[in-house]
Amino acid sequence: MGGFGSLLADASITCFVFFPTLAALPLMLMGRASARTVKVYGLVVALLEVALIAHWTLESWDAAGMVARDPALPWIELPGLTIAYEVGVDGISLPLVLLTGLLLPIVLLGSWRGIERHWAGFVGSMLVLTTGVLGALVALDLFLFYVFWEVMLIPMYFIIGIWGGERRVRAAVKFFLFTMGGSLFMLLAILWLGWSHAGLTGAWSFRYEDLLRVDLPAGQQLWLFAAFAAAFGVKVPMFPVHTWLPDAHVEAPTGGSVVLAGILLKLGTYGFLRFALPLFPHGAQALAPVLVFLALVGIVYGALVAWVQPDLKKLVAYSSIAHLGFVMLGILAADLVAWQGALLQMVNHGLSTGALFLLVGMLYDRRHTKKFEDFGGLAKVVPWYSLALVFSALASVGLPALNGFVGEFLILLGTWDAGLRLAAGVAAFGVVLAAVYLLHMLQATLWGPLTREENRGLRDLDAREIATLAPLCLLMLWIGVAPRGFLEPSRPALESVLSDYRARIERPAPERPTLLDGGGAERRAFAMASAERER
Amino acid sequence: VIASFEIPAADLAALAPEILLAAAGTAILLLEAFAPGLRRTLCGLAVAATVAAAWLVAGLAPATAFHGLVEATPLTGAFSQAILAVTGLALLASDGWLRRERLLAGEYPALVLWCACGLLLLVRSVELLSIFLALELLSVGLYGLAGFHRRLAVSAEAAIKYFLMGAFVSSFVLFGIALLYGETGSTRIDAVAAALSAGTRSPGLAVFGLLLLAAGFAFKLGLVPFHAWTPDVYQGAPSPFVAFLSVAPKIGSAVVLVRILDLAVQGPLGARWADLAAILAVASMLVGNLFALVQRDLKRMLAYSGVAHMGYLLIPLSAPGPDAWRPVLVYLVAYALMNAGAFAVVSILYARAGEQHAISNLSGWGSRFPLLAACLTVFMVSLAGVPPTAGFLGKYFVFLHAIEHGRLALALVGIAASLVGVAYYLRVVYVLYMKPEASAPEGVRADAAGTAAVLLAAAATLVLGLFPSRLLGWVVAALPGG
Repeated sequence: MGGFGSLLADASITCFVFFPTLAALPLMLMGRASARTVKVYGLVVALLEVALIAHWTLESWDAAGMVARDPALPWIELPGLTIAYEVGVDGISLPLVLLTGLLLPIVLLGSWRGIERHWAGFVGSMLVLTTGVLGALVALDLFLFYVFWEVMLIPMYFIIGIWGGERRVRAAVKFFLFTMGGSLFMLLAILWLGWSHAGLTGAWSFRYEDLLRVDLPAGQQLWLFAAFAAAFGVKVPMFPVHTWLPDAHVEAPTGGSVVLAGILLKLGTYGFLRFALPLFPHGAQALAPVLVFLALVGIVYGALVAWVQPDLKKLVAYSSIAHLGFVMLGILAADLVAWQGALLQMVNHGLSTGALFLLVGMLYDRRHTKKFEDFGGLAKVVPWYSLALVFSALASVGLPALNGFVGEFLILLGTWDAGLRLAAGVAAFGVVLAAVYLLHMLQATLWGPLTREENRGLRDLDAREIATLAPLCLLMLWIGVAPRGFLEPSRPALESVLSDYRARIERPAPERPTLLDGGGAERRAFAMASAERER
Repeated sequence: VIASFEIPAADLAALAPEILLAAAGTAILLLEAFAPGLRRTLCGLAVAATVAAAWLVAGLAPATAFHGLVEATPLTGAFSQAILAVTGLALLASDGWLRRERLLAGEYPALVLWCACGLLLLVRSVELLSIFLALELLSVGLYGLAGFHRRLAVSAEAAIKYFLMGAFVSSFVLFGIALLYGETGSTRIDAVAAALSAGTRSPGLAVFGLLLLAAGFAFKLGLVPFHAWTPDVYQGAPSPFVAFLSVAPKIGSAVVLVRILDLAVQGPLGARWADLAAILAVASMLVGNLFALVQRDLKRMLAYSGVAHMGYLLIPLSAPGPDAWRPVLVYLVAYALMNAGAFAVVSILYARAGEQHAISNLSGWGSRFPLLAACLTVFMVSLAGVPPTAGFLGKYFVFLHAIEHGRLALALVGIAASLVGVAYYLRVVYVLYMKPEASAPEGVRADAAGTAAVLLAAAATLVLGLFPSRLLGWVVAALPGG
């Protein structure tokens, strides 16, 4: 494993992917250490991880937005079946990688008081989870992707199941079974794809770039796309396989909810954008009407259900379904503007919903309740808290000059341009609904007379909590005011994926599996980028 | 007329591992009788004998011996190593249990070594009567070991059940061999295959014979509908012995079953045999997983889960051919490590003689026994087939083979079944970490050898999942034409 070791030593993608897990190993010996030691250790590791990602981005990120990769390493080698360890970051994965890095210290800080036992286990789970997420984001081989994808399940199962609320176990098992059920279909589809590649070239391959060249008949594309959609759709989650999400969110500890909403859900939409659509354009095209319909149902249904929730956390959880419906709509529109909006909206949702979950958690830490009926008129008691909640809620609503507006606007614009006007109209109605339920939330908690005596002595935000929220709020504002800097890095990658996608849609699907020539723009760009980066 | 009874040295050398194991077993018995002071070292001696046998297996040159009764190929070598690895693990796990139950005696390691000897022969035999003899050598040892806890009624019950059914099945096998011999005039597998493909007088008899043979080994594997013995026997038999019983005989029997199916598809019915395997696979996966779901006893749950795993193992046999060896071998190695490891943990954590092995007993022990609980979690996750573990690798190769051979429906059933599996494997993890402690452990003491066995198995399970190249390289070297 000399190659792997030297990659780790190098400030490479591999390094920031595996650093959290390696850093989790000493935790196994820290079972007797005080919670404080473990917390500080976890925070230091998280900050180092942020530094590693930032360092890599500044040093090695390809400004053209194309894939920057580590040299590939042999991993599994069999005659006729080679699986390489191959990772890279392009303009599509970079925003999510950065978001993942950013949220790690915030999650630990945000859990400071909420988590009361087994801190070593909690930090370890979070760190391993981070490796799983980052690995899934950077994998350029579908086998590797699948491994990372599944690695995420176990730590999340523990996070919900050990540190969650009263009905945590049910929620954890439901989360695990739903996700695993979807992804097993994807596993079969991945195997089928590799087998098709073997049939065409004589060699098994699960490399993303190799599989992009496999052009399958329309019928096969349909089924394989459906299998991928099963895996990613559960994760997003799309109606009607969303039912695990409210349970998981409500029972998960604050940190778990933030990671779940902020990062894990994004992997579903990322999967559509990265794998499902580019690999099976005709399948995607055939199923797009169904998925668009489901996305719209998600937007409206999520919003309506959020509206009637008696509990802050449930409201935020259902709002995620609605927001992710927007992202799905943008992805399915297959339009550059919509894709840019969708990608930005993935980050936006991570920031604003992450902040909302943190704020709900802070309230819960103080009062041990999340019910609306226990609050009301808090604005007078905890002004700074109220400010943060209003700010995050407005960002989530999509108020102009905040981040949510940019993402939603681009998605609606792109969807309209792509000809899905009815869908854009329905989605715009969803924006109104979002305003309704989030303002309802603010109304019920912050404004009006102080309804409960026990809320009179509520503490306002302390320094740690401000430190947790400030980066998120700053980014929300920054993206809202100057979105260009966040949109541009992703543009070339999105353009090339989209042009390949469109080119393949325009041709009819072949009668029998065929191998596309290596002429795809994305493939060329990948090859160029990798040639440049031969170290 | 046998003129002289000389055995060529080359033939003897070909059986060196088996001879070593048999001799070591005998030596241990003699030590037990004449030097009882050494009793405490006997399990260690047996482990050493296993290691030595593994070394001998590695040195075997590919050849056939005894006029084609046994063969040595890289493939049989790989299976033999897997068997010996499990034997070593089970012996390590047994030592502490034998001391705790005050049953420390030479019979136990001796019987295990003889079972291993029978298994190595079973894997290497290419002649039906040798297969039968090897099977009997194995079975007799297993019957004795199942009832080894002689003060416990459940143990005796397990032994009697296993013995009655096993004896019945042995007669099936023997009758099947007789029928095939009557039909084809030979008991050598290659000769039988040639005669079958040339066509025989009464194909019905040949089919019946093959069915009886297959049924015999399906029984040993615990495939539905021959699985009923597994939960009862697993529950009553000594836990560290179940680490051996649930794994090693299955490796040997699976090899023979592959050989029988390869043989069967030559004869009447042809490819229909593959469909039969597919039906057994589906039945085993569904029955095993669904019954495991409702078990409250950990050992019974693992027994049904074993039924399901043998179902997965059978998926590649629905398309018999030389390339079926790869998924079978990888799956068996993965299954061997994780299942033996799980039972090794069970034998440490359930310390009261004759107690039920309720899963809920483990409530909250995750923080009391962090190391063992973490290892048990690894085994459960691996059994559930979640990466990055050996269990995933096994499932991966099985499904890969199914897709390659157009058995998509089987793969889909396999997926549905493994999802059910996830539910009950996770329950163990849930009980360990997410429930408050229900009862303080009584008399649980993790002995060094047992812990070592658990750690070895867990490490191997993870390493095979993360860096499978080593294992796979070894497998490829062992595969025909690889």
